[in-house]
Amino acid sequence: MKRSELTEFAVEEEGFKLKIRRGHNGTPVVTSNGGPPPSASAESAASPAPAPASPAVASGDDKEEPGITFIKSPMVGTFYRSPSPESPPFVEANAKVSENTVVCIIEAMKIMNEIQAEAKGTILDILIENGQPVEYGQRLFRIKQA
Amino acid sequence: MIQKILIANRGEIALRIIRACRELGIKTLAIYSEADVQSLHVQLADEAICIGSAKSGDSYLRADRIISAAEIADVDAIHPGYGFLSENSKFAEQCESCKIRFIGPKSQTIKIMGDKSVARQTVAKAGVPTVPGSDGPVDSESEAIKVARKIGYPIIIKAVAGGGGRGMRIAHNDVSFAKEYHVAGAEAEKAFNNGSVYIEKYIQNPRHIEFQILADAYGNVVHLGERDCSVQRRHQKLIEESPSPFLTSDLRKKMGKAAVRAAAAAEYENAGTIEFIVDSKGEFFFIEMNTRIQVEHPVTEEVTGIDLIKEQIRIASGEKLNLDQKDIEFRGHAIECRINAEDPARGFTPSPGTIGLYYAPGGHGVRVDSHVYSGYTIPPYYDSLIGKLITHGDNRKMALERMYRALSEYLIRGIKTTIPLHKAILSDPVFIAGKATTAYLEEFLSRTPPDLF
Repeated sequence: MKRSELTEFAVEEEGFKLKIRRGHNGTPVVTSNGGPPPSASAESAASPAPAPASPAVASGDDKEEPGITFIKSPMVGTFYRSPSPESPPFVEANAKVSENTVVCIIEAMKIMNEIQAEAKGTILDILIENGQPVEYGQRLFRIKQA
Repeated sequence: MIQKILIANRGEIALRIIRACRELGIKTLAIYSEADVQSLHVQLADEAICIGSAKSGDSYLRADRIISAAEIADVDAIHPGYGFLSENSKFAEQCESCKIRFIGPKSQTIKIMGDKSVARQTVAKAGVPTVPGSDGPVDSESEAIKVARKIGYPIIIKAVAGGGGRGMRIAHNDVSFAKEYHVAGAEAEKAFNNGSVYIEKYIQNPRHIEFQILADAYGNVVHLGERDCSVQRRHQKLIEESPSPFLTSDLRKKMGKAAVRAAAAAEYENAGTIEFIVDSKGEFFFIEMNTRIQVEHPVTEEVTGIDLIKEQIRIASGEKLNLDQKDIEFRGHAIECRINAEDPARGFTPSPGTIGLYYAPGGHGVRVDSHVYSGYTIPPYYDSLIGKLITHGDNRKMALERMYRALSEYLIRGIKTTIPLHKAILSDPVFIAGKATTAYLEEFLSRTPPDLF
């Protein structure tokens, strides 16, 4: 979930913070860095504050290294690592997964949805904490592809 | 009072809702598609959750994901805006069962008034004039043609699940009737999953005059005057104004009372609009009710001074309307031009793309409701409305002159917009004389060279 810092009445001018990152098909998605606040008129008080990059959109590493991919959330809900509170997690780091391996549960509106890896490889990192809300497209696991 | 609202919409209306929430001290949650990451409303909301990929069907229309977002962010109300799920009774019902307040009427009301034929019958029972037509949906071609002959051609065949100018076919005689009847049914089935149609007399070149309604949960209903929305292209409104240059004060009183009766008959709650068509003799007829806030709501706000979005939130919070009909005053004249990213010189082809320079007009009596900014890229997945320019003046002449002045200052570089079209209309003698009916725009376009835009 993204939080924007609302500083619309701040004394200092703050521009957009946007990044260049690769889109899904490899083309650069240009987003300006700094620059004039995108307010429509000079009097407009609402100067959009710099938005800290949403984890779903551009997480820390902007370059996707070859052979590394991410399992992303296909829905909005709450992320759980195990089928139930008492059970062990579906996967830990270094676990080998194939397309059908269930890697986590995302609970949406009281329904527990099993999420499959849809990739073949090894789990490198688990990016979300147990019980954390996730949005569509949010990166859940970092995988080294087989 | 509601504490946190999820805005289930995008673009200028999402921004409008956020502004009202800010002024009321209510927290906001924006939901957005991957195409709207750079959208202004996403940046300005207190929180934001991505709910899907660009296509509306994978994002803004996904009731399940929206409600899921509402739950994880712990909101207590959802404002649906206009379009998308705002008139989807199932969505309203899901909100109700999840104990999330839907800022609008009850789901049952949306369902009833969403069936245009039932809506007609509901208001007719309250003595509101409706266009002569069938008593309900027509079940067969033979029944339909009987109705058509009884009320007299020309007639219009309308989808019961349609509305907003969609799902309508006109027939001028028995011969064309058969074809139009079948096409109407097929189109309705495809567009609305409901092939049911009803028949109305086709009123030629009427004016489209609608009344804004506010109703609370305690049975109090008031109207906030009319908006004349006759300047339309293919049933899409381009310019709206209040008051209507056509209505006399007697006719306004009559129509206002009828609008209130219609809303009361529907047991309406929250903001809504009663649409009438008015013929050249001043006879008015109910055509449909819009059970949501509308694009053109700022026109009413400027003339009455009442913030409609805040009223919606207050009503949804359970507050009683603190307005009596006699307290509502109408001051001066307001007009709105919808600015679309379309090229009027090339058949209104959509013009998505990146806005280079953006400079909005200002000054006394000028209001701009827009979510765009310099450097913003208009996504091609949604409608072409990029902003609304509203002006207010002591009288119609002043409002129109101010609008022309404001349009002349409005700079949007990098894409094509309908600003030049609006300037041309605002200079046209027929429009200036207040003589525009729903036939006006086509007639205006037919005598105006496209290179004027």
